Amino acid sequence: MKKIVDVSIPLGPVHPIFKEPCRIKCETFGEQVLAAEVELGYMKKGIERIMVGRPWQEVMFLAERVCGICSVIHNFVFIETMEKISGVTVPDRAAYLRVLANELDRMQSHLIANFSYCYTIEHETIGMYLLNIRETVMDMLEYLTGARVTCAYIVPGGVRFDPDSEDLTRIMTAMDDVERETRRYMNMFESGPLIGLRSKGIGIMTREQAELIHAVGPTARACGITTDCRSDHPTYQRLNFSPLVRTEGDNYARVMLRFQEVLQSVDLIRTIIRTLPEGKIRGGGTIGRGETTHQGEAPRGELTYRIKSDTHGRVQEISIQTPSIMNIEACARYMIPGVTSVADVTAAYISSDPCVACTER
Amino acid sequence: MARPEWIKTFFLAKTAPLTTPPHFREFPHLTGKECTHCFQCMMVCPAPGAIEVIRTEKPGEWKPVIHLGHCIRCGLCVEICPELVLDAGRVHTKNAQDGTYMQFQFHITVNPVTCMGCGSCTVACPVNKEIDPQLAAKGTSTSDEVIMRVYKGINTVFHEDKCTGCKTCEEQCPTRSILVARVLEPLQISEEA
Repeated sequence: MKKIVDVSIPLGPVHPIFKEPCRIKCETFGEQVLAAEVELGYMKKGIERIMVGRPWQEVMFLAERVCGICSVIHNFVFIETMEKISGVTVPDRAAYLRVLANELDRMQSHLIANFSYCYTIEHETIGMYLLNIRETVMDMLEYLTGARVTCAYIVPGGVRFDPDSEDLTRIMTAMDDVERETRRYMNMFESGPLIGLRSKGIGIMTREQAELIHAVGPTARACGITTDCRSDHPTYQRLNFSPLVRTEGDNYARVMLRFQEVLQSVDLIRTIIRTLPEGKIRGGGTIGRGETTHQGEAPRGELTYRIKSDTHGRVQEISIQTPSIMNIEACARYMIPGVTSVADVTAAYISSDPCVACTER
Repeated sequence: MARPEWIKTFFLAKTAPLTTPPHFREFPHLTGKECTHCFQCMMVCPAPGAIEVIRTEKPGEWKPVIHLGHCIRCGLCVEICPELVLDAGRVHTKNAQDGTYMQFQFHITVNPVTCMGCGSCTVACPVNKEIDPQLAAKGTSTSDEVIMRVYKGINTVFHEDKCTGCKTCEEQCPTRSILVARVLEPLQISEEA
């Protein structure tokens, strides 16, 4: 094969800005990147194989441990799939509390994603400020569920603990803080010339390209595609949820969209606490035989569980499809080629919020 | 480290000892209430080998021992214990407030095609041994009070409700034809009742 490039530059698997190991191979012509390829497979856990033959109370904890950052959504989608299999219904209060935990988890995930972007473009000050907000959110998650990560809050037919009015007031107060601080750092990000220059017009993916590569989550919504599994979820529909969309499709749009979604989550949480119905938090019900597929919106995009269970609810077959694989591929194919500097490769990669732990399971 | 020594350590490595690191916070902890050794905490635990219920030196007394190095702090053992032997954080307070509890059922399934009626499971079953000591000593029994025994050349389950879900039968079966399901149901006391 004729070599058309100057140099092939590998980034990773060990690199200061990578949270998880992954190798990006860039083919460059001078400083310009012509093509890129992402190599995965450094941290395969084989978690789906461990899940086989176990009942829900064991698989639930394994499912949470697929990804440490978005653990609540894995619990959420797994339990909803099991409920769909066996026709277990959830009381209203429990359904609202599930969404409350999920939105808190989404906020902390988006905040850490934006932290890593700011860290990548060497603006660590904003990054550390964002981590500070994230700590507040994590504390609220702990008040609600009893744990900061891997909460194990959602069980078939309901949730595990019911927050009293004191806990809800505390969450409500914390949301005011989070909103104020997020708006402040969002303004900094929006108006800071160094940050704006560093992010606008870099790593552009058009709407057609995003559709072609099936990008999901904030990465797709920043390109103008209205895709969000939350709009199909009955509880979110009752909360009048509508997805946020931006049209620029560059790094700036992806980061700003995440900031906007944090604010949207704040609004959702306020609505939930204001309209939280009284009643039971567990409806009861055991898991039975069946096979089904169910989707949910993880912070990074669409998360799908396909489960086949036996008579007593043991998992026979399970396959998890996580959102990051789409976004990583979109990143390698469309965002990275065309950037004018190798230094922007990592920024474009991190702006798509890749989660290698999810991808390799 | 010299290479031969390294190879020796690598291949002859033993499982990490169940030590508790000093920085761990002490929960779940024992409340001092009497344990009835129903083993439900052991059966519900998602982390292998994190909790075991053992006999103490006092005759007739049992207590759960938690290996905090293996524990994942899920709190299921605290929630399921009917005697409130264990406690962690606000779990008991919350459960008492909300009236939430969990219920266990155990189901035994025998595959009639692959079961060859060897009776390994019936002899191994610890509950069977307590009900009919003859079964443990001689391997045969005519009692219908046992959980299961070999009847007409095949393992037959008589009393599924007596099963404690320990899966000893499952481990002993040479053809993998017996399966124990641990069915957990999270429930809440209804306000009307």
